[in-house]
Amino acid sequence: MSISVIVPTLLRTFTQDKKRVEVQGNTVLEVIEHLERDYPGVKERLIGDGQVHRFVNIYVNDDDIRFADNLATALKPGDAITILPAVAGG
Amino acid sequence: MACNHSGVCLMSPLLQDCSLSGSFAPSATGFAPLAASLRYQATALGLEPRITPGDPAQQGLGFTLCHPDLQPVQAQVHAWPDGSAQAFSEHTLQAACGLMSVHGRASGKAQGLGLDYVANLSASLALQGAFAAALGQLRGGEFRQVQSSMAAAGVLGIGQYLAGATAGAEAEHLLPGATCAKQRPPFVSADGVHFELETLDAEPWRRFWSAVGIDGEAAGQGWKAFLLRYAKAIAPMPPAFRQALSRLSMARIEALCALNGMAVCPLRSLQQRAADTDLSRQRQQGPWSFTAGLGSDAGWPALAKGGLPLSGLTVIESCRRIQGPLAGHLLAMLGAEVVRIELPGGDPLRSMAPCVDGVSVRFDALNRLKQVRELDIKSAAGREELYERVRNAAVFLHNWAPGKAAELGLDRADLARVNPGLVYAYAGGWGHDRPGEPLPGTDFMVQAWSGVGERIGQASATPGGSLFTVLDVLGGVVAAQGVSAALLQRALSGQAVRVDSSLLGAANLLCEPLLHAASAPDPVLKGVYPTRDGLLAIDCQTPEQLQRLAQMLDCDLSAGPPGQDAALRSALASQSAATWQQVLGDADIPTSVVVQDLSQLAEDGRLKTCLSVNTYTSVNAHWSFR
Repeated sequence: MSISVIVPTLLRTFTQDKKRVEVQGNTVLEVIEHLERDYPGVKERLIGDGQVHRFVNIYVNDDDIRFADNLATALKPGDAITILPAVAGG
Repeated sequence: MACNHSGVCLMSPLLQDCSLSGSFAPSATGFAPLAASLRYQATALGLEPRITPGDPAQQGLGFTLCHPDLQPVQAQVHAWPDGSAQAFSEHTLQAACGLMSVHGRASGKAQGLGLDYVANLSASLALQGAFAAALGQLRGGEFRQVQSSMAAAGVLGIGQYLAGATAGAEAEHLLPGATCAKQRPPFVSADGVHFELETLDAEPWRRFWSAVGIDGEAAGQGWKAFLLRYAKAIAPMPPAFRQALSRLSMARIEALCALNGMAVCPLRSLQQRAADTDLSRQRQQGPWSFTAGLGSDAGWPALAKGGLPLSGLTVIESCRRIQGPLAGHLLAMLGAEVVRIELPGGDPLRSMAPCVDGVSVRFDALNRLKQVRELDIKSAAGREELYERVRNAAVFLHNWAPGKAAELGLDRADLARVNPGLVYAYAGGWGHDRPGEPLPGTDFMVQAWSGVGERIGQASATPGGSLFTVLDVLGGVVAAQGVSAALLQRALSGQAVRVDSSLLGAANLLCEPLLHAASAPDPVLKGVYPTRDGLLAIDCQTPEQLQRLAQMLDCDLSAGPPGQDAALRSALASQSAATWQQVLGDADIPTSVVVQDLSQLAEDGRLKTCLSVNTYTSVNAHWSFR
């Protein structure tokens, strides 16, 4: 299943400046694994020790995956993943 | 020197060999809160401020910094960057600089903070400029005069929001009243206690709200809204959140917070804060804590001709978010070469919308003058490189969580081994005495704990503090000022100094005038009023100004509110706010158009010299030196 991923500026160095890429995957983790295969280096910017980094938010459509099933969150055709920096604290 | 309970040797007032004299006598002008803040800060720094008559030929408030090794440094603080003498007050400056607009995004309407915010920002910045000029002289420069303005300080305070509002196609359009003034933090318990919640992670948030009866999907929507506080000064929470908490007692809420790892802080009153045992010493020392070090004879690079006072000095900054980066930004504005240490891959906030040319304008607003070195300071190799960079630096500045510096081997003692003359600066949350810990040292927690939140809530008719990052911004200014003072002391005496500043110190500074038994008299008439076109802020500070206003408007203002309000509204409806600003300003009545749309700021002729309109509108260097 092909999923759109909207790439933040800091990761576009990995995606040849593409703002949106299409990758395969049935869960968020699978999408990230496929991203890593197509664009090596992306994964460690998103995940460490099996968890999404504290300073990264990943949304499936409008929903933060931390409030669904985290990296195991299931995807359906037409879903879009957005990666954004987390802004907590001053 | 005196040693505190933890055995750290605290210094006598830092700059006691310097002195300060100036026209900071109490007065009924708009400069009064600036003068009060200057007197207080100068006393805390050991400058023994002496009041001298103002020079009638000079506009603004002037002061002189003296030391036997220096030519006197003359500082002049104007109301407006263009030197205009138009009548003003704290209230009208907050209107003109966009502060009312940003505070109004989540407080229901354009309104002031109810604290002397611009005056305190401006006083810290003015002293910082004078310290920098003195340092510049000791490094071989001229720097006899430094000019700044109160309005420019206000604009500097909202610089990030201004960037966001002017970022081309992605610009944010958030006007006063953009979000509901009730459906936002702080929250209220069933027994009527107002309180702030805080967590930097989604997991405690999800667990806490689940325990309160909010499901995961809704909690996710609430988290998204909660995260908007720091970036956009809003937190539009769905009503279910407030409703859920309003059914629980404070004791129950505190128990659920403890169980789920959520921090909670009831809003404390200024009276409660005044009774804290730590406050008296903190008031005496000011918003900084200076600790003596060994010192060094090692010199700094000579000042190149035409440079700024800090040109050629290196500052290593390892800071994230607002307070620390703003401090580094101000040092860069003074000429320092600031090297920003970011984690490998760069600071994620570089991608925070809105972006121009691929960079977050909000990030750029605080970091555009710096070099960047990506470094994993948790690795041995990263630390070694950092030690190497610190060896030749003048300042190391960080804002890590408490205890992290020691854990990383990057505490003051670690870096003093590499560079004994280093100024080591920590811009933290709770400061040296750490009275509020173990609460997270974030803006909204410190607002709640310090009494600032309650005060702003009272002035704004909201449940509590501002979602404008009041303390991060003032804390950043105070941190940079502390570093400038420490650099001056290093240049005068060779002594290396550690400087701790904090959000709580910034809060104390804001509350200082309110803690005096004899606080300032209530204004004669102060408010924000609709006109034929736009809002107008008026602040009559004397009965004479009120009388003149009544004459100009041809209405009776003797009744007091609410009759006064109705009469004013009716009279002001005949002209636009811009016209009234001109007419009433000419009559020496403090008045200003309330800037609601920040993108209009650059159109105000009075502010022109402090702004640059490029891909977004940025705030220029605060000081001009001669």
